[in-house]
Amino acid sequence: MTLAAVSDTGPLIHLAEIDSLELLSTFDTLLVPETVYEEVEAGGVPDGLADLSYELVEAEESQLGSEELDAGERAAIAVAEDRGVVLLTDDLAAREAASAAGIEVHGSIGIIALGYGRGLLDRDEAVSRMRALQRETSLFVTEAVVERGIRMLDER
Amino acid sequence: MAAEISDRVREIAEARGLPESEVFEQALERGLEDLWEDIVLARYLDDELDREEAIDRVGRTKVERAEREREVVEEDVDWGLNA
Repeated sequence: MTLAAVSDTGPLIHLAEIDSLELLSTFDTLLVPETVYEEVEAGGVPDGLADLSYELVEAEESQLGSEELDAGERAAIAVAEDRGVVLLTDDLAAREAASAAGIEVHGSIGIIALGYGRGLLDRDEAVSRMRALQRETSLFVTEAVVERGIRMLDER
Repeated sequence: MAAEISDRVREIAEARGLPESEVFEQALERGLEDLWEDIVLARYLDDELDREEAIDRVGRTKVERAEREREVVEEDVDWGLNA
């Protein structure tokens, strides 16, 4: 199945923090709004982003959930709406706003699971990266929830 | 790591005007609180603890946040394994 997605800033930063940006190569098409790129760039372009194949796109900002979302999140939602692609975000408010509008949304944990599902990672590596995402990155996610996700990998 | 911890303890102690032993005590209390919350939420998510008891122990906000995260992680892992 062909996979196309647009990412907001979160997954790019969180996956970079655990040296896992290469997992985004699982997507046949990866779009990055210019606003998102500028947000990433402001914190220093992470190693690995230059090796990734992605298309920078201009985007209007979506009005969905606009009060609580930042410019990058609104731009990524607008691209997902316009092009009918998966939205990649780790922000719960962005996820809920996009889901309510019928957009398919996934985050960094899903990208690691996708890498495992498609054979890029073995089970131990997928587990290790899920735990690293929880312990070593700026993403806030409850430890018990990540462990539940790991058990789902094992139940596959 | 050990040197970094010592440096941080010294800096916190100086900034707060506390003895380093008290900084260690506070760090232990905070760390234990986090670990306690992890255990309570894990038990709740594993259906070993009912919702009201989990709320009593760690507060409604943390339980509701964990519930939202659980939904997201389950959706994501399911998608990742089947996409």
